[in-house]
Amino acid sequence: MQSKTIGAVLSLVLMGLGQLYNRQWGKGIVFVAAALVGIYLTVFQLYDHLHGLITLGEQPSGFVKVGKMMKMVEGDHSIFLLIKGLIALVAVLFFLCFYILNIRDAYLVGRLRDEGKSPATFRKSLAALGDKHFAYLVLLPPFIVITFLTILPLIFSILLAFTNFADPILPPANLVDWVGFDNFSKMLNLKVWSSTFVGILTWTLVWAVIATATTYVGGILIAVLIHQPRIRFKKFWRTALIVPFAIPNMISLLVMRNMFNNQFGPINGYLQYFGLKGLPWLTDPFWAKVTVILANMWIGIPITMILAFGVLTTIPRDLYEAADVDGAGARQKFRMITLPMVLFSTSPILIMNFAGNINNFNVIYLLTNGEPVNINYQFAGHTDLLVTWLYKLALNQSQFSFASVIGIVIFFIVASVSIWSYTRTRSYREEDMIQ
Amino acid sequence: MAIKKWGSALVCFTLVIMLAACGGGNGDNNGSAPASENASATVPPATESASQAAEEEELVPEPGAKLVVWEAPEQLEYMKEIGAAFEAEYGVPVTVEQVAGGDQGSRLSTDGPSKTAADILTLPHDQIGLAVKAGLLLPNDVFEEETRNANVETAITASSQNGVLYGYPKSVETYAMFYNKDLFPEAPKTWDEIIAFADTFNDTKQKKYTIMWEFVGYYSYPFIASYGGYMFGDNNTNAKDIGLNKGDTVQGFEFLRSLKKILPMNAGDISYDVKTQLFKEGKLALNIDGPWSVAAFKDSVNFGVAPLPKFPNGKDSISFSGVKSYYVNSYTAYPVAARLFAHFASSKENQLKNFELTGAIPANKEAGEDPKIKDDPYVSGFFQQFANSHPMSSVPGTDLAWEALKATFVSLWDDPSLDIKTSLDQMVKNIEDGLAAR
Repeated sequence: MQSKTIGAVLSLVLMGLGQLYNRQWGKGIVFVAAALVGIYLTVFQLYDHLHGLITLGEQPSGFVKVGKMMKMVEGDHSIFLLIKGLIALVAVLFFLCFYILNIRDAYLVGRLRDEGKSPATFRKSLAALGDKHFAYLVLLPPFIVITFLTILPLIFSILLAFTNFADPILPPANLVDWVGFDNFSKMLNLKVWSSTFVGILTWTLVWAVIATATTYVGGILIAVLIHQPRIRFKKFWRTALIVPFAIPNMISLLVMRNMFNNQFGPINGYLQYFGLKGLPWLTDPFWAKVTVILANMWIGIPITMILAFGVLTTIPRDLYEAADVDGAGARQKFRMITLPMVLFSTSPILIMNFAGNINNFNVIYLLTNGEPVNINYQFAGHTDLLVTWLYKLALNQSQFSFASVIGIVIFFIVASVSIWSYTRTRSYREEDMIQ
Repeated sequence: MAIKKWGSALVCFTLVIMLAACGGGNGDNNGSAPASENASATVPPATESASQAAEEEELVPEPGAKLVVWEAPEQLEYMKEIGAAFEAEYGVPVTVEQVAGGDQGSRLSTDGPSKTAADILTLPHDQIGLAVKAGLLLPNDVFEEETRNANVETAITASSQNGVLYGYPKSVETYAMFYNKDLFPEAPKTWDEIIAFADTFNDTKQKKYTIMWEFVGYYSYPFIASYGGYMFGDNNTNAKDIGLNKGDTVQGFEFLRSLKKILPMNAGDISYDVKTQLFKEGKLALNIDGPWSVAAFKDSVNFGVAPLPKFPNGKDSISFSGVKSYYVNSYTAYPVAARLFAHFASSKENQLKNFELTGAIPANKEAGEDPKIKDDPYVSGFFQQFANSHPMSSVPGTDLAWEALKATFVSLWDDPSLDIKTSLDQMVKNIEDGLAAR
């Protein structure tokens, strides 16, 4: 038997034993201690948590009369059980990973010994930690934090789609249950839900395309315009046009909400001053959609513009000089040099913008709040996006499971569009075009 | 390599802490029968029919009790005074936290079970349906008799759910008609008077209008209720019977549409901010609004408050009324102290104090008779309207009805081509479908 095999087997039996066998006392002791704590917790706690995760509770909270007083008797809170179960599950996964690493470690150190080298001392191991493997050390805490603060809530909200956690089944007085794909089939087959879902989904996609295109094209046009050599006061124009981006959009949107009011807003006021009739900016289904797109241009154009400025300044001068020598006109220079360069560098932004616009909660919620109302929709109005509808379902109607279904749908749309379009951009396929 | 192990060691410790953190308090409630729970320390089980009164006198706050109260910003000062008075009397410190009125119900549903919510909060009665369903509120049991005797019937009904009283009434509210005294020496009594006045006053160029209200279900109710419709049957408690298209509601909406000539704009143009501003400037003669707006107008316009105008069919306007009550969080660590506080805060004196500081109309019968209320030019108008009001519904499904009603109300107003009867029937069907889908 070689040391590596013995070490690995011993570590398999109990984490840290292999290290002790390899005469790495410090490390071995630490590992054994960690193993004992981990195993103790797994044995005594894991079952309860997993049981809670699977059953989602057996005894809801209730009231019992004591003398004249009603007293609450705490039962199982399904949602808390779900969260705790998930945490336990993730923790166990971490533990298992650690266990596997420890076996590998015992094996590798054993192999060193088989080759006749002496294993690292505890001090050396510690030194190596801060030196050779510094990257792991630094990345580990964020990794753990991300797992528990980002990934876990994501899994939790996805799982909600498979429960019946929606008014009237509200914990703690009621127990939530797993219902499989019921909510998805309701969303597609129950007319109450499906008509709203299809309508809002359509508008969301239309909005995302238009909103992205308008801000992108507008931003690049303005940047190129200001960048023209014959334009004066460049700094002033730049600063002035960045202002909309500098004002928090929550403020500008709420101001716009009043500006666009068709009876009392200044916009229609000016139009009427010039003898025009004014438009029903926020109260007509069609015009409300136009209004949110206009408002979004105001907020979104500066961002693209700043990006385009950055790209424009990096375009090598000699390209233009060469074009001049060849006798190219301004228009040709723009078409053959400026535009390809700008589009090439900013196309990834296009995808990000598209994904962002699908979930553009602020513009819709603050400017129209989904209105004007739509009689045929369930809890939604003409300008509601999936994300604002989700918000209303969860916060105003307590329909958490359906909100979660919509959340999953949004995720699939954004993820698939992003992945598909990113792999088709030239910057993805020809990474070496610009050095 | 060794390094990797170290990293992993870190993971392990994190994991240990995680497991330890969520290990507590989980294995000890495996469906232990409620009956086996110990009686609360302060109140021994009434084995003999000991005089209830004596028991109440024995009601003392738990030793070391500390209370947290949620209160909306506009009533924060009042609540701080009440808290201080309560501490002086019972020695229990009270912390007042500012939580907007509309958020308290939703905050309770998440913060209650995780034991971070206030012990006492204020809810408008239309929100208690959800809270009771989720088991988040303790019934008003110890002081039930007193509460029932002291407050008006509407307030008690509104603070109850399935016949169980939960709330400790705080104030009642309904909307009425604010009228500009410079334009109307006498408040108009009927819609006909208002329409006649509009012919002389309205001026779209100058932005002068006769009357405005917000286009939501809450304010649309008179056009339904005064024509024999209702939201739910049995005084808005039976969700199986939806009455938004019953009676002559179609006529009510026809009349509503006829008002568009005196209010020529889309529903979405009328926001609270807009009409408040216009009324302040004297460009709006009549404003349908609630007692919460009295303070906003007090210094800027000479106005009075009158009941809503009579309809052409001779019926009085029936408004929706709301009742705000204190409720005790069922997860409170100090159930006795919390009950004492809720009861203390809803006493006649404190309801009157609330009126003095914030203008909230008391639910207490005796307080309603108080000269302060009787002689108040603004409150009397609301009071008369309150007599002609139906409490808003709080049964499950009310949220569906609000949404649908708002959508229909606005659509019928904005789009003259919609058929009223079909729209109303469609709305009722939507509510029924929504209820069935749950």
